[in-house]
Amino acid sequence: MLNKKLLSAAIAAALVVPATATSADSAEMAEVKRMIEQMKADYEQKIEALEQRLQAAEQKAETAADTAETAKQASTASAVTKGRSGLGALTSGTAFNPQISVILDGNYYQDDVDGEGTELLGMADGISHVHGGDHDQDHGHSHGGAEQGFNFRSAELAFSASVDNYFDAAALLAIDSEGSVELEEAWFQTRSLPNGFKVKAGKFLSDIGYMNNQHPHYWDFTDQNLAYLNLLGDHGLRDTGVQVTWLPDWDHYTLFGLEVFQGEQEKLGTLAEVGEHLEEEIADAGLATPDNLSLSGEEDGPRLYTAFVKYAPELGYDHALQLGAWGGWADQHQEIHGEPIAGWVPGDPDTPLHALEGDAWMWGLDAVYKYDGGGAYGEGDFKLQGEYIWQRKDLNLTYHQNAAIIGDERKFTEDGLYVQGLYGFAPRWEAGLRYDVVGLTNELKSAGSTLRDWDSSDRWTAAISWAPTEYSKLRFQYSKADITVDGESNDFDYFYLQYMMSLGSHGAHKF
Amino acid sequence: MKKLRLLLTLVFVGLVPSSALAALDIVASSSSTGALVREVAGEHANLTILAPPDRNLHYLQARPSMIRALRGAELVVALGADLEVGWLPLAINQAANPSIQPGKPGYFEAAAQVNLLDVGGPADRALGDVHPTGNPHVNMDPVRMAEVATALGERLAMLDEGNASDYRARAQAFAQQVDKRVAAWRQRLANPPGVVSFHKDVIYLLDRFDIPNWGTLEPVPGVPPAASHIRSMIDELRGKTGVVLFTTYQPKQAPASIAEALGWRQVRLPLEPPIDADGDGYLEHMQRWVDALTAKG
Repeated sequence: MLNKKLLSAAIAAALVVPATATSADSAEMAEVKRMIEQMKADYEQKIEALEQRLQAAEQKAETAADTAETAKQASTASAVTKGRSGLGALTSGTAFNPQISVILDGNYYQDDVDGEGTELLGMADGISHVHGGDHDQDHGHSHGGAEQGFNFRSAELAFSASVDNYFDAAALLAIDSEGSVELEEAWFQTRSLPNGFKVKAGKFLSDIGYMNNQHPHYWDFTDQNLAYLNLLGDHGLRDTGVQVTWLPDWDHYTLFGLEVFQGEQEKLGTLAEVGEHLEEEIADAGLATPDNLSLSGEEDGPRLYTAFVKYAPELGYDHALQLGAWGGWADQHQEIHGEPIAGWVPGDPDTPLHALEGDAWMWGLDAVYKYDGGGAYGEGDFKLQGEYIWQRKDLNLTYHQNAAIIGDERKFTEDGLYVQGLYGFAPRWEAGLRYDVVGLTNELKSAGSTLRDWDSSDRWTAAISWAPTEYSKLRFQYSKADITVDGESNDFDYFYLQYMMSLGSHGAHKF
Repeated sequence: MKKLRLLLTLVFVGLVPSSALAALDIVASSSSTGALVREVAGEHANLTILAPPDRNLHYLQARPSMIRALRGAELVVALGADLEVGWLPLAINQAANPSIQPGKPGYFEAAAQVNLLDVGGPADRALGDVHPTGNPHVNMDPVRMAEVATALGERLAMLDEGNASDYRARAQAFAQQVDKRVAAWRQRLANPPGVVSFHKDVIYLLDRFDIPNWGTLEPVPGVPPAASHIRSMIDELRGKTGVVLFTTYQPKQAPASIAEALGWRQVRLPLEPPIDADGDGYLEHMQRWVDALTAKG
């Protein structure tokens, strides 16, 4: 206000001065001049101050704009092109694509049993292999199945993203060397439930145990441990269903989980059916068998349930320990064993055709300890993990070529364990050692008496791996196995040279 | 521990202080973001730091203890720009805590509050473990950290309105501290030596004080130095005066060999301040880096 008045006074004075110059005396002139000079100086000072303030404000705005820009860039992985011609449509383009990664997993394999090594590993004598042939099982593609020489195990494609503010989702596909595609996992999970709850649904790897939810490229050894391979199957426990987990806000990490699955499993809760091939064999043997060997029809799902708990004490920054326990229950379990043998009578050595039905259950314990050495690229890091798995099938004979024992109880029990250690002996280099065994308990009982008792199978494995960067890994693995098949011990050695290449978005470092 | 602290507060203050009861559970990914939380939130926060200062923040795993800490957190403070990409998003996801997911007020990323260097560039891993969103090591620039503190003060004010003026005042006080120290450091660094670092983790410090950056021992980010690369750097830098900077989790051989060949000093310092640092502790930590650059001989 004052400024304005002064300004107008000054202007007025400046206009008046020339007109009045002649009539005004010199003293007045000097006074007016002095006043104008004063006002001018004042004014200039004020303008300077204003200019400075403006400049500061501009700088601030610039910084704010930059900050906003930074935030924008940080929030989208691929920056949207800024240059616009004004002709195109405004679009988010590919910015909404899910995170994509591809993992290539291949190997060179050799054994000293004419390439049968990987097959033998999955045939260890036990409650899943009490028969001559697999009528009822279709193993599909096998992660462990390797031929002598070069093998391409899989190209795994993983897609993941937030669906909306309520759900995350992921889909993982494995493509083998022949191009057949398998849906490894496809699930969605809640992201905003309160009180530590999460719900997951779809087809997914169960979170039982420590290793069950790990994909093969995440393993510390090239092949699956014997306990998982023979008691859970090549993939571990994987099915279609729903999972609920609860992470209470307690002083120590404790996670509870419940899972309900349809029950389409390779090992636990498997269903059997007389196929065309077996029907022909039955006809050839001239047997008169009841419809589907008296096995009941498929019960409505879900038929498989699991529960697990994981606990981790607080051990500071260098040490970490996680302990877990789990159980699984299958409502319906069916198996068909033996061969249709014409004229079979009790006492003959070969196993005749029979079918079993009942339920099956499992439990397991797992522990993993990790030491963070803090060295460069994993040097000095150490990891020790082990799991124990126990399986029981409570079945009854629905059919047997010896009609007298139909309805008899058949109780199968088998267990297995593995212990493995991993040590970062140099930057980017890891050495691993594993012992795994299956069939410590390995028996068939009926009404308290032991009908069969199989030997166990075990293996020692050593591996060295080198990771040039976080995205690539090469591994050499040597194993010495002693696998019992049909009562005979098979000693053999084999090795793998394996590569794993990870393309695309940055992988997660799971514990 | 929490109960003991509360009890002590009660004994000393003599009445129930609303601030102690309403303390925010804050989780910081590192000790530098932890220092800012201590400085700006003070006694209004129960702070948990996920990674100790001697670890490479890029290579950690999402451990159960982290998930547990995040489960009840009201605010997580990360350095961001993908530095913790391998483990923090996973740990946040597994913590089943909707209020700290990115995009929520409970998620705060330091790198998202300031201008970043090295933004853009090709997203090609043949060029190493690159971060097209920008270099994430903003904790090495005290001026940016002051800006982050100001933004953190605003965030805390949003989460805990009752103490809003306190957060703002503390952030402002920290910014003044930084201004003072930076002015002094600028004078000391008037004639800086050139710097060769192991990884591109000190560029914010060099940029702030106009210190010549003569490259990294890693040929590309995340890939260990190869002998040929070291040799060509030695040939290129022969006759110049500089210093080799590297940090505690990086191997010693390459820095030693280049420093010896060129007759330079080599200095090994933690990238992160001590685990119990506050704002002063952070500035003392930066002082050590400035000392490393200005030391004679």
